Amino acid sequence: MKLKETIFVMIIVGILSLVSNFVGYQNGILESMPGMLILILISIAGVLLSKVIPIKIPSVAYIVLIGCIVTYPSFPGASVLSAYISKVSFLSLTTPILAYAGISIGKDLDAFAKTGWRIIVVSIFVFVGTYISSAIIAEIILRSLGQI
Amino acid sequence: MKNWKVHGIVLILVIIAELIGAIKFKLGPGTVVLLPMIYALIIGIFLTPRFLKVVNQKDMKDAGGLITVTLILLMARYGTLIGPTLPQIIKSSPALILQELGNLGTILLGVPIAVFLGLKRETIGAAHSVAREPNIALIGDVYGLDGAEGRGVMGVYICGTVIGTVFYGIMAGYASALLPIHPYSLAMASGVGSASMMTAAVGSLSAMFPDKASMIQAYGAASNMLSGLDGLYISLWLALPFTEWMYRKMYRIKYGELPPVKEGQQ
Repeated sequence: MKLKETIFVMIIVGILSLVSNFVGYQNGILESMPGMLILILISIAGVLLSKVIPIKIPSVAYIVLIGCIVTYPSFPGASVLSAYISKVSFLSLTTPILAYAGISIGKDLDAFAKTGWRIIVVSIFVFVGTYISSAIIAEIILRSLGQI
Repeated sequence: MKNWKVHGIVLILVIIAELIGAIKFKLGPGTVVLLPMIYALIIGIFLTPRFLKVVNQKDMKDAGGLITVTLILLMARYGTLIGPTLPQIIKSSPALILQELGNLGTILLGVPIAVFLGLKRETIGAAHSVAREPNIALIGDVYGLDGAEGRGVMGVYICGTVIGTVFYGIMAGYASALLPIHPYSLAMASGVGSASMMTAAVGSLSAMFPDKASMIQAYGAASNMLSGLDGLYISLWLALPFTEWMYRKMYRIKYGELPPVKEGQQ
């Protein structure tokens, strides 16, 4: 997708998220605007970096990294940026995404119905298996390091 | 891109979902937290041609093509969730890194169930991981997606897409209520390489532990990032060989003989 199109979709999602943030989390649209703009700028910077740097790393990796750096406690102005961004509830960003996902899942539903119940049962065990094993390992390490 | 019907529908879904708001209720021993994103997902599914027919094939395709881009802002937000807590995250990095091996637990539980249910080589694709996008690419590369292994991985992938988000939200709440496991460990386990599953799990946990919410969200986001980075290699070097081995053991237990060697396979 071209950069212009990506930015266009980001702005639409940004507006939808501001609405979600206002209706669901009572953060005024104007007061959360700066935080949203910062997020859009971080995203654009990440997309640009992934285009400029020749090593093949997906743009999301850069975006998360930039987000991390600019809010790292000793980064200049980090506390100001964090204060603006905190006005944008992270859950408000998820509502529009899953609305798009819901609409697009329609095309998977026939495949889902055809999958058969055995794969569905296996899926559930797969989800539970990975979740609980990861949690147990994390728990053991965190406890042995005295971090919880 | 400029499908205004889709964007308009999403706007309406967002407003409806947020007006309903998060609903918390007790169900058995656990607390179930339903977040607005779940309603947006479910109402969205009901608008498709199978049900209410509000959207058509083209709208579904357009919406699907947008998902990768819509995730970008959330990724930026994740970065800014991790940043302020980075000193703490680095201190917990041993736990964060090692819990990634928990993906192998999938195999211990998934392979016996799959073989017991009578699946053959589908087992390899289905039970080697939680089957997100990188795993489809991997199975496609190693076995091809048109074979049994491909059917297995696609099946679990589609299940994850359709029910995974709701399932992860509920599972996190139950695990936290039923098991003596700290919410931070559960948060780390939530990152399986799917932003929506992780967010659903972390959303339930943060609603149950509001005072720990920022660390829970940061651990979830960090572990999801890590899964995205190492998931493919863990699958390729550890999970697939282990799945093959486990499959042969289980096959022998169920059928009393080793599985037939497939043609063209080394």
